This record gives sequence, structure tokens and C-alpha cells, in this order.
Amino acid sequence: MRPSASILLLTTVTGFAFGLLAWVGAYTALGLLPAEPHFALTGIAVGLFLASVGLAASLLHLGRMDRAWRAFSQWRSSWLSREGVGAVLIYPVAILLAAALRLDHGGIVTRLLGAALMVTSLATVLCTAMIYASLKPIRQWHNSHTAPDYLIYAAFSGALLFAVLDTVLLGTTGSADLIAAAAAAAALIAKRAYWHHVDAQTPLASLAAAIGLPKDREVRPLDAPHFTENYVLREMGFVVARRHGARLRRIALGLGFGAPLGLCLLASLSVLPRAATAVALACAVMGLLTERWLFFAEATHVSALYYGRRV
Amino acid sequence: MKTVARTTCYMCACRCGIKVHLEDGRLRYIEGDRDHPVNRGVLCAKGSAGIMTAISPARLTTPLARVGPRGSGGFRAICWDEAMEIVTRRLAAIRAADPNRLAFFTGRDQSQALTSHFARMFGTMNYAAHGGFCSVNMAAAGLYTAGGAFWEFGEPDWDHARLFLLFGVAEDHDSNPIKLGLGKLKERGAKIISINPVRTGYSAIADEFVAIRPGTDGLLVFALIHCLLQAGEVDTEFLVRYTNAHHLVIDAPSEADHGLIARDGNGRELSFDRNSNSLQEAAATGIDPALAGEFTLPDGRRARPAFELLARRYTRKEYAPEAVAARCGIDAADIRRIAAEIAEVAFNQPVVIQQPWTDTSGRRHATMTGRPVAMHAMRGISAHSNGFHTCRALHVLQMLLGAIDTPGSWRYKSPYPKPIPCGGPPGRSTSPGSPLDGPPLGCPLGPEDLLVDEQGEALRLDRAFSWEAPLAIHGLMHMAIARAFEAGPSGIDTLFLFMANMAWNSAMNPGETTRMLSECDEHGKYRIPFVIVADAFASETVAYADLVLPDTTYLERYDCISLLDRPIGSAHGPADAIRVPVLQPARDVRPFQDVLIELAGRLGLEDFGDAGGQPLYSSYADYIVRHERAPGIGPLAGFRGVDARATAKGSPNADQLERYVENGGYWKHELPPEQLYYKHANRAYLAGAKAMGFIADDSQIVLQLYCETLQRFRLAAEGHGERRPPQRLRARIGEFFDPLPIWYVPLEEALSDRERFPLHAITQRPMAMYHSWGSQNAWLRQILPQNRIYLHRDLAARLAVEDEDWVWVHSRNGKLKCQVRTMTGMNRDTVWTWNAIGKRAGAWALRHGAPEFRRAFLLNHIISEYLPQEGDEARHSNSDPVTGQASWFDVTVAIERCSEDVFAEVAPRLGANPVRLRQDSGVDR
Amino acid sequence: MTMLPKVPPGAKKLGLVIDLDTCVGCHACAVSCKEWNSGGEAGLLPDYDKQGPEPDGVWYNRVHSYEAPEQGCSRTINLPRSCLHCEDALCVTVCPTGASYKRAEDGIVLIDPEICIGCKLCSWACPYGAREFDEEAGVMRKCTLCVDRIYDPNLPEAEREPACVAACPTRARHFGDLADPESGVSKLVAARGGKTLLEELGYRPTNKYLPARTATIKAEPREAAAEARDGVGAALLKLLDRALSR
Ligand SMILES: Nc1nc2c(c(=O)[nH]1)N[C@H]1C(S)=C(S)[C@@H](COP(=O)(O)OP(=O)(O)OC[C@H]3O[C@@H](n4cnc5c(=O)[nH]c(N)nc54)[C@H](O)[C@@H]3O)O[C@H]1N2
Ligand SMILES: Nc1nc2c(c(=O)[nH]1)N[C@H]1C(S)=C(S)[C@@H](COP(=O)(O)OP(=O)(O)OC[C@H]3O[C@@H](n4cnc5c(=O)[nH]c(N)nc54)[C@H](O)[C@@H]3O)O[C@H]1N2
Ligand code: SF4
Ligand code: SF4
Ligand code: SF4
Ligand code: SF4
Ligand code: SF4
Ligand SMILES: [Mo]
Repeated sequence: MRPSASILLLTTVTGFAFGLLAWVGAYTALGLLPAEPHFALTGIAVGLFLASVGLAASLLHLGRMDRAWRAFSQWRSSWLSREGVGAVLIYPVAILLAAALRLDHGGIVTRLLGAALMVTSLATVLCTAMIYASLKPIRQWHNSHTAPDYLIYAAFSGALLFAVLDTVLLGTTGSADLIAAAAAAAALIAKRAYWHHVDAQTPLASLAAAIGLPKDREVRPLDAPHFTENYVLREMGFVVARRHGARLRRIALGLGFGAPLGLCLLASLSVLPRAATAVALACAVMGLLTERWLFFAEATHVSALYYGRRV
Repeated sequence: MKTVARTTCYMCACRCGIKVHLEDGRLRYIEGDRDHPVNRGVLCAKGSAGIMTAISPARLTTPLARVGPRGSGGFRAICWDEAMEIVTRRLAAIRAADPNRLAFFTGRDQSQALTSHFARMFGTMNYAAHGGFCSVNMAAAGLYTAGGAFWEFGEPDWDHARLFLLFGVAEDHDSNPIKLGLGKLKERGAKIISINPVRTGYSAIADEFVAIRPGTDGLLVFALIHCLLQAGEVDTEFLVRYTNAHHLVIDAPSEADHGLIARDGNGRELSFDRNSNSLQEAAATGIDPALAGEFTLPDGRRARPAFELLARRYTRKEYAPEAVAARCGIDAADIRRIAAEIAEVAFNQPVVIQQPWTDTSGRRHATMTGRPVAMHAMRGISAHSNGFHTCRALHVLQMLLGAIDTPGSWRYKSPYPKPIPCGGPPGRSTSPGSPLDGPPLGCPLGPEDLLVDEQGEALRLDRAFSWEAPLAIHGLMHMAIARAFEAGPSGIDTLFLFMANMAWNSAMNPGETTRMLSECDEHGKYRIPFVIVADAFASETVAYADLVLPDTTYLERYDCISLLDRPIGSAHGPADAIRVPVLQPARDVRPFQDVLIELAGRLGLEDFGDAGGQPLYSSYADYIVRHERAPGIGPLAGFRGVDARATAKGSPNADQLERYVENGGYWKHELPPEQLYYKHANRAYLAGAKAMGFIADDSQIVLQLYCETLQRFRLAAEGHGERRPPQRLRARIGEFFDPLPIWYVPLEEALSDRERFPLHAITQRPMAMYHSWGSQNAWLRQILPQNRIYLHRDLAARLAVEDEDWVWVHSRNGKLKCQVRTMTGMNRDTVWTWNAIGKRAGAWALRHGAPEFRRAFLLNHIISEYLPQEGDEARHSNSDPVTGQASWFDVTVAIERCSEDVFAEVAPRLGANPVRLRQDSGVDR
Repeated sequence: MTMLPKVPPGAKKLGLVIDLDTCVGCHACAVSCKEWNSGGEAGLLPDYDKQGPEPDGVWYNRVHSYEAPEQGCSRTINLPRSCLHCEDALCVTVCPTGASYKRAEDGIVLIDPEICIGCKLCSWACPYGAREFDEEAGVMRKCTLCVDRIYDPNLPEAEREPACVAACPTRARHFGDLADPESGVSKLVAARGGKTLLEELGYRPTNKYLPARTATIKAEPREAAAEARDGVGAALLKLLDRALSR
């Protein structure tokens, strides 16, 4: 699948945003928020800002931005629609929570709103994940890893952002960093498990089956219907060289999860906490973008079979 | 406002009926006309893309006069008055001095009835259309053997055939009818065998594919004949009734009539009757003619039935399947099996139609019974220098099976059959200012009809009808430029090209051809003094014109698909059609036929203008309606006579075109059931055909198993008769003018080094492209803007090349660089590509960097119009020695992998010379 | 809309049956489709870089060719590919706007270009690569089964068939109601063992493809009437034994 910039940005940035909001919500719900009122508010602001950046990026992906509002209508069947609804629901919930935090820091309403924010955020991430996980023609997406993985990456990127805020705004080190480190470890394990899974997958179908022959029959493409890459090939026929892929995988793992893991551990031990978390965040951003790029680039689509590509 | 016009497609030469939908004068949709006899509603890819050609940016917009050097592409726009003035002056001068100095060659012309008549009236013998490089082998072999041809004059009986053999066809002129027919065969579960080096298109759906080595079909056919003869499975009754199998051939070696058919005092052919044990007129009924034996003629000489000569030849061991298998690249067992299947279907599964008919001897037959083995063949046979004989071999096979115009077999398309061979000899006498005494193209019956001078050398520019190509009944268009160049200014003055991309894909070796077009002699004058190109689009050739006459597109003019040309008739009856202007051109262009008629009028040509220089016709439409070639016979056969009721023959009808329009743009006549088969000997059919003016004589057309005409040429080569070939050509004529089909290694192949060039290189027509002009079409070029060289995977593995790699293709004529695609459904000793996809930079209004320029290639670059020189003999053209057919598919090549650092771009690439308007004035002549 | 419709009893299931035994790969169906849906000079289906280096455009139907090695030589298979009007059309359910929908009454899957936001998700959901994005209008496009022809009351009955079916020169394309076991297309599918492409993905496409078959002729090996000698001899005599009458 072609990794389009707008979608990479959308999924990564909203991962950070919704992850952060989920953590803010969770801390609130559990009554674990730092006492400083501006902390949670900043968290919510940053979360909403990033969510807006992500959603704006997603608009760029649309052929008809002017009609984007129509995307909310099909929530009964479409994960994309649900994602949109979820993303939009987050705003009132978050704003209500912000208001509640000012009025009633730690009260039951606040805690309930916190829980609500966590749920909507995670649900939205889940919707995003399900967009991919529900696409049957793409084996690298349509599997039991995609949904939990998205949640884990969102949890990780949110936790990291949370830790950064925590360190930068409050100078605190410790639990947030440890949580971020743990999430990084989980993400690392999840990603490796994912790759292990997809690498072991068998193709969804053979070219023979795609053209109605017994599926083991050997078939090779002769003449293509057109000589220039068309939309289907550009969008769905994207291929990434194996060697290149392997290198990027190492970068994604190391930069995206390994480095943040180490750096957060350092921060938790108060070793240059601000710098460590900031660098961890920078690494995670780059690593996750790489990871997301690979998530698309390494995904193969059954329709590319028709062009003789391996899927 | 929405309107629908019915007219005829011309995205190719198939001539399907189309309905053109317009919305406010703009093209909305073109669909197949369901009532049309050719396509019955279906429409091919090209036809559907007609809209994009009609609005192509490559359309010419105004008459052009060259500025700057020829071939540079620089032109000045001129008005039609000036253009007509230039042509008229030039042609009038030529005609007054020596009409032959005009060489008029037309390519994909569908108005040959007009253009050839123009040439004749002008008085030049130097006229031909594209047939010579296309399929004259099929036309000549068919017309001299069966009075019809695979090429346009015949079709398989799609409704009854049970076994269909398709030799060397990728697409053919009959694109849609063949596809409709294949669909019918499939529906009925008939078996299709495709004999072809490459399995694509029609071959893809064949039930059996025979991956033959190019140029060896003759051997395969002989092996099939061998098997049939050996098994005694031959339709001897058909042979004696409808062919000359029983005619006695004089066996008097070294005498002047050796090998000719024995005739009685009245010139009637003789046979030996076993009933009366005497010589009898071969056409007599009630005789039991011998097919073998030696008989004594009244003059005491010996003679044998033609069939015996045939049987003796093909039962020889050299034609056994085992003997030809390796050379053909086919298993002997497969050949034997196919022969058995043919025999099974022909003799055990006859098709019987309950339809009485009467033969030319007056015998009434209760049924029409046929051998449902149908065959069709085209350029895979014809584009080899042994194609004439191979095609004859196919017709002989058909005759042995009794499979000519019988139910289930190959059938004549009306207005065929015609007497063998049809038409008279080519016109020869020319004198300044007067017409030719016959049509410029004709059918020689013997050396006396050749167009040669005292020394036996060619009179025509292209050397058609000379000893180099005696039966060149379509001319040798592929030699026109080379010969004009050779002859220099003393040869011809003006080369007038219409609808032919002679500087590109119609040229063997475009690099050389364009050099010849633009080279000057020692006086700084062009060796070909003046070139006129009439084209509708900015083709590669337009850049080489001194004067360009821009034509309309097919939706903007009247056209006439005439029975006098290559009509659209079918086995069910004659038909013809018109094109009508659907769009008004918003460019300064004129229909070429209008221009030609005006020109003929201005020149005062007989039949076009009166002596006072007054033109007879105001336009082509006017000519179509009023011109009479013979009394009552005009360009269109339908709706003739004052009441529009006359069929084929009748006085001109002023409303004829309106009647055609009302009728959907075509006219057809359905033959009654009793005339549908055995047309060559069907009394009712022949009488009807005579009444319609298709034939002058309604006697039986005897199929020529044995071709006496060929023997006449051979006798001349042996020193008999008044007209003999020049010494250097004697052996050649002796060898190739065999009255029974022969096989020989294609000439170029025989002359090239097989060790160095072990592979055959051939091209195929892509179904969605038409020659060079498909590429200007914005839709079609999305499908095929680049061709590859297709290699068998085994070969690719040996060369260590894979899909998309670049290779050099070497032939003795040069080399070209192109990109590879591998496959396995093909003959192992062959490489191939799609034809005419490569374009010259700048042509066809394609933009810089188009794949057609950069990555697509033209195989023609490594084909030569000349054969390698042998000793000190003059160079022979790369043609069939009998018909002059261009031998496109004889080239042999070697493939070499390109080194990694070679720039990934096709080679050779001729420089860009797009047609462009310049402001500087003054025509450089 | 984006939910798959409840199929009312007796509803039609319109679709194409394409005979791969007959398809010669001529692209006629593809171009006629392009032409019909393009509106001619109006050019509703975009073409990009018409005369340039990267000619491309939106097509609803594209014709591939393949090779399947077979004993001796390969079989060449041509495959026209367009929307198969699936019963379990994921392209419909993923659509966030309802632009992509399946009609209850005849099963045709359509895109409403007035609603589509061009998010491209449906094209990702289609395993057959049947959906192409129109860069100019910013919306998704695909085969409409020629709804604008097959129900057009202004067309004569016989012409109410998809453009590609009407054009196909070998008549390899058949159109009809696959829900009706008595329809021509259903009978063809039954008789010829019509195939479902990528059946294992579970989209339940309506369009079916008829597999290639091989016609054979049973013929006994011929015995030579005589020795294969150089010459004619007995072989010829045997066939001439019959009395002939002219
Ligand atoms: N290697 C190789 N070369 C081949 C062949 C092959 O098989 N292999 N095949 C040969 C054969 S059989 C043929 S017939 C030739 C075909 O070659 P040509 O007959 O030369 O056909 P084109 O080259 O397409 O040129 C036809 C010309 O007609 C012009 N034209 C199109 N429509 C109109 C119109 O309405 N009016 C006018 N005035 N002009 C028009 C086009 O612009 C073009 O310049 O190619 C030959 N060349
Ligand atoms: N779409 C389309 N249709 C066309 C044309 C076009 O350009 N495009 N051109 C028109 C013209 S002018 C012509 S002349 C006709 C020609 O129509 P075809 O006769 O179909 O000509 P080609 O495509 O040259 O196909 C020649 C076939 O012969 C095979 N072949 C080559 N050598 C041999 C051999 O030695 N033996 C056998 N058995 N087969 C061999 C090739 O593989 C190829 O399949 O098509 C006409 N129709
Ligand atoms: S075969 Fe195609 S291009 Fe040729 S006349 Fe028919 S529809 Fe037109
Ligand atoms: S073929 Fe593709 S676009 Fe058509 S209905 Fe099926 S899934 Fe949807
Ligand atoms: S591109 Fe259009 S039709 Fe497709 S899913 Fe998005 S909104 Fe629906
Ligand atoms: S049914 Fe209509 S829209 Fe669909 S492929 Fe055929 S012509 Fe195109
Ligand atoms: S038009 Fe018919 S024969 Fe041609 S590619 Fe399409 S389905 Fe096949
Ligand atoms: Mo041709």
C-alpha cells in the first residue's frame, strides 16, 4: 500500500494525541493527576491540538474536502465513519473535562469525564485500527495484531508525551517515565510479534485463484492492460525492496521503541530527565513515522495479484 | 440536440457499421450498428476509440508547402488554391511528357476503385496500393488457384465448420467478423487449431496451438497432404468435378509445351475417360476420368493427370511428418494426429444441408454436402518469401478435402469467385497525354503480359510484372522509394503518396528510406524530385513532403466501399457501403477524393473531365453516384436505376446516396439458399453473378490444383517462347515457377548466416492499435505505448535476461535496442513484438519523452528491402519471387544482452522532425 | 445506505458472465466502457497526460493477459476485470459517507459521485482492484453495470445491455440476472461451471467467469494405405479404385 503522507501524519499524530488524552483521562479517572491544575489542562490542549493537526492532515487525503462532513453519517457500518465520530466526540468530552477540572478538580464528575475521555480516545484509536484491521484484501492489516497494536502504540506515544509534559512542566520523574518505558517495551514486543506474524503469513490468494483457475496452477502475467502505473498500482501495488525494508524495520524498532525505552528509564532515574524525555519523544516521532510508513509500505493488497505482484 | 448518424468506421480497414451519436454537434458516443452485415453491432477497441482520433491533436489543419530541407519538418501554410495550382502544374507537365514519371502509391486506401482509375486515366503504370507489402501472396495464390482468396475474398463457414485451422493470423482485416466467427465456433464446440509461432489473441483461445517455426508452414501442409494421400483420404469426386486434377499434363521434357495442359483442337482441356477408354474433354459429364496413369495424346506424346504429378510429389518421403517435424518445430505424432482429425471430420462427419441445387453441367443435386474443415490464413503465411506457394499448398489441401465453398468449409465472399485468374493483364501502353490501355494492376497469364522492355527489364518503377516479380498483382509498394531513389530524377518526377506512412512502418528500414527521401544528387537536386503526401495526420512521412494535402478524418467525408475494390460482401451475398460526413471539419482540410477528382478534372483526364478542361464531377459524392465504369456499373451497386430497384447493374440514380443513408449506410443482397455453396460450379449463382456484372461469363470456374500459368513462366525460363527472362533470372524463374506448390527456405533466411542469426523475428498486429496511427489516440495509447521483444523463457534463461531487461537485437541489417518480456507460449526459435508501436520523435503530436519515442521500437529498422547481394547479380528485393510480396517475417536475428551501463532507451532513434509551421517564405523545390 | 441492503425476495442479481474460453483479449469491452462512461468529447472519465510520457486515465474495465504453463506449451488466458458487484461488498460497508452503496432491487454496486469524499477506503476494501480514483473530480469511480443503459426506456429493448457486452466482438460477455436460475446467464454458469474469482475472500461476487475448455476430435490413427515409398504406387491405386463420375 502506498504510504501517503497525510495518512502517516494522521495515524501517528492522532496516536500521540489520543494516547495522551487517554492517559490524561485515565489519570483523572483514577485520581492520580498531579495537583497542578495547569498540567492536565496543558495535556488536554496539547492532545486536542495534535488531534486537530492529525485530522487536518486527514482532510488533505480527501478528494473532496468540502464534503468531509458527510463522513460522519455511516457510523453504523463504517469504521472510518466511527473514527470520525469518535474523534469529534473527543472534543466536547475533553472540553467538558477541562471545565470540570477547573471547577471541581478531583470530583466525581471530573473523574467520570476523565474515564469518558479515556474511553472515547481509546475507542477512536480502536476505530482507526479497525479501519485497517477490517480490510480483508490486506493480510498485513487484516489480522489479530492490528487492533491491539494500534492501542499499544497509542498508549506508548501518549505515555511518552505524558512523561515529557510531566518532566518539562513539573520536573517530575519516576512513575510517568516508567510507564512510558513499559509502554515502549510493550510496543517493541508488539511490533516484533507483528512482524513475526506477517512474515510467516502465507499469501491470501494466488494469481491462479484471482483469475478463476485452480489455486495451485502456475500463472504468469503476459501483457498488462495498460503500460503506465494506474491508480490501482500506485495505491495498492506499492512495493518496498526487502533490504530497504529490513533496514527501516531496525530503525523503527531502535528509534521508535528501543531508544525511548532506554531514555525513559534514564529519565526515571533522573538522569538528564528533560533532555532524555525530549529526545525520547523526538526518537519516537521519527521511529513511529517509520513504523507507520512500513505498516503501509509492507502491506500488500490482493488486487496487485492481477499485475503479477507478490501479495 | 441529440442526433444519430449511421456510417462506416475507419479506425481500420474492416469497415464496420457504426452509429455516431452527437450532442450539440459534439461527438458523444460511437457504437456498433446492430443491423450492419459486417459487425452486427459489435465494435472493436479501435472503433470505440474513434472519438479520440476524430479530435486528435495530430490532425493536419491546412495545406503545407515545404520550407527548409526536406525531412526537417519545416512548412509554410498555403491555401488550397495555391496547393491545387502547384499539383496541377506539375502533373500536367509530367503527363504531357511521360505520364510514367508520376508514381502514385496509396496505402490503406479504401478508394482504390477511384485512385487506380485516376492513375489509369492519367496514363501512369506506376500505381499501386498497399497490397504488395501486405498480403499479395494470399491474393495471388488464391486468385490463381481458386478464384477467391483468404485475403478479403473468402471466409470460413462459421456456422457449420467443425474443425477450423487458422494459419498465421493475429488480427486480420476482417477483425470483427473473425471474432464473431470464433465466438460461433466456440459456442458450437467446434475445434480450433491455431498454427502460429506465438500464442496470443486468437491463438489464445484455440483448442490446440501448434507453435510452428516461421516460414515452414508449407512443409507442414505437405506433411498433412502426405498423410491424407497415404491413407487414401482424398475427395476424388470433388477433384474431378471441380478442379483440374484430372486434366492431362503434357509430359514432353524440353518441348515448348511441356507441363502445360493437353487440349483438343478447340482449346478444351483433355482428360482420360476410363468408361470409354479414350481421351475426352475434361469438362464433359458422365465420364470416369483417370487420376493416375500415363496416356498417349493424339500427337503421340505422353501425358499424365495433374493429380498423379501431385500425388507423386507429396507421397515422397521428404514430406512425411517425421521428415519435416524437426524443421517445423512440431512433433511428427501431432502432425499425424491432426491429419487424422482432418480426415475424420471431412469424411466421417459431412455437413448435409437439405437444399437442392444445380451445377453448371445441369445436374440437379438433392442436397448440399460439405466437408466441415475450414481454413483461414493470412500474413503469417504471406509475409514470407515462400508465401505464395505455401498459400497455394493450403488451397490444394482444401481441394483434396473437397473443402472449397462447401458447407462447413472455406467459402467465397461475394462477388467472388471470379474466373481464374480474374481481370485482364496490367495496362502497358502509355503515350504522353493519354490513358493507359488497361488498369495499372492486373493478372498476367504468361510472359506475354509482363511489363518488360526488350532486354526483359522492368518497365514499372517498382518492377512489378517484371521477371523479378511476374505475378506482382498488387505492385511492390515497399520498393517504390528505393527504386525511385535508384533511378534518380531521370526515373520519376513526382512521388505522390496517399494514406501511407512510407517513411516509417511501411518502410523496410526507415533509416535508409528517409535518407533516400532527403538525399540530393551531384547537382544538389533531390534524387526524388518532388514528393506529395496526402494524409490526415502528422505522420512520420509528412515531414518528407514538398507539398502536403491535408485530408479529413473518416467522420468528415463521403467514402465508398465499392464492389470494384475490396468490398464488404460475405458468403451470404454482395454488399457495399458508404461513409457520410458526420462532422464538419473546422480546419482547412478537404476530402482527398474530392481533391483527386478536382485534380483529374483540371488535368482533363478522360472520365473525369471533358476535352475543354471542364470537370465532369463536382465532388466525390457526385462521382460515386454518376460515374459508370461500364454501362450500368458504378461505384455503388445498391439502389441503382431510376426507380432505385436495380441490383448491382442499372443506370445511375440521383438519389442513391440518400437511399444508402436511409438504409444505414450500406447495401446488401442476400443470396437465395440454393446459391450459397458450390458457387464456382453453381449454375444459379453464376447466372446471378453474371447478371449483376460480377463476372462476364457464367461457366464453371475450374479450381486450379495444377497452375498452368506458372508453368508458362517456367517454360520461358527454359528458353521457350518469345519473351524470356534475362539470363540472371532464368534459374530463379525455373525454380520458383513450379505449377505444383513447393517449399523452400525463405530467401533472406537462406542467404543469412544461421549460426550468427539463429532466431526468427516476427511482428504481430495488436488488436487495439492500428498501424502507426493508433498512437495518436489518447485512449489506445494508454493500453500500448511501448512494445517489448518477447523471448521464450528458455532463451531468456540462456541469455540470462529477465523481464524488463534491455537487449540488442542484431540482424544482418543492423541492430536495435529494446526491452524484454519473456513467455513460454511460443516457438522456441522465434522472437516477436507488436507491430508499429515505436514512433519517430516529434510525430503524431506526441510530446517529448513519450514512451513511443523513448522505449518503443520498430522492428523495421533491422529489416532491409534488399536481399544480400549474391555474386555480381543485381540486388533482389526482399520479396516473394513470384508475387513481389514484401517478406517482413523472413528476417533472422541474434539477441545480445545489454551491458548494465547502457542507457535504458530504445535505439536507433532518428532525430525529431515534427511538422511545424515556419514564417519564412519561399518554397524550396 | 452503506449497510448492505436486505435483499427483498425475488430481487434480481444483475451481473456479467465472461467466457474466458472465448475472450481473445481485444480490449473492445474496456474501450467501449471508457467511451460510454466518458461521454465522448465531454471526457467525464479523466485522462492524464494524453500525449505525454505517462499516459493514464480512469477505466472501469481492464483486460489482462496471462500465461499458464501447460503440457507442451503455455495456455494464454485473457481476463477482463471490472467490478464484480459482490454480494458481500466490503467496499460498501467501509464507506463513511454512504456514497458507495449496493442496490437492493438488482444488486448493482454504485458510487454516488455527489456524495463521495474521495477517501479511497473503498478501493482498499476491493480485492479486485475494480475502483479507480478520479483525480480531477476527486471522487472514486467504478463500473456501474451501465445502469444508465440497462434501464433506459428510450433505448430499444435489445440495446438495454451494458456497453461492454454490446461491443464484445467474440460475444464472450453475457449480461443478465444471476438470481434467476432460468436466465441465460445462470444456465451458462451452471452448464459451464462458472467460476468465482478469489472465492476464498468471501465477497461472493455476482459476476462469474466461464473457464476455458478444450474441444477435441476423436480420430482413429490412420493406417497408411501403402508403404511410405518414394512414389505413389499402391496408395494412389487404392484411392483411384473408385469409379469416378464427372
Ligand atoms: N515490421 C513490420 N512492418 C510492417 C508490417 C508488419 O507486419 N511488420 N505490415 C505491413 C503492412 S501489411 C501494412 S498494410 C503496412 C501498414 O502501413 P501503412 O499502410 O503505411 O499504414 P500506416 O503506416 O498506418 O499509414 C497509414 C497512413 O494513413 C494515414 N491516414 C489515416 N487515416 C487517414 C485518412 O482518413 N486520410 C488520409 N489521407 N490519411 C489517413 C495515417 O496518418 C498514416 O500516415 O505496414 C507494413 N509494415
Ligand atoms: N488491430 C489491427 N488490425 C489490423 C491491423 C492493425 O494494424 N491493427 N492491420 C491490418 C492489416 S494492413 C493487415 S495486413 C492485417 C494483417 O493481419 P494478420 O494476418 O493477422 O497479420 P499479423 O498481425 O502481421 O499476424 C501475423 C501472424 O502470423 C504469425 N506468423 C508469423 N510468421 C508465421 C509463420 O511462418 N507461420 C505461421 N503459421 N504464422 C506466422 C504471427 O505470429 C502473427 O500472429 O491486419 C489488419 N488488421
Ligand atoms: S474492426 Fe474496429 S476499427 Fe475496424 S472498422 Fe470495425 S470497429 Fe472500426
Ligand atoms: S468488485 Fe470490488 S468494487 Fe465491486 S462490489 Fe466487489 S468489492 Fe466492491
Ligand atoms: S472514496 Fe467515496 S465511495 Fe469510496 S469509501 Fe470514500 S466516500 Fe465512499
Ligand atoms: S457494465 Fe458498463 S460500466 Fe461496467 S464494465 Fe461494462 S461497460 Fe463498463
Ligand atoms: S471485448 Fe470480449 S473478447 Fe474482447 S477483451 Fe473484452 S471480453 Fe474479451
Ligand atoms: Mo496490411
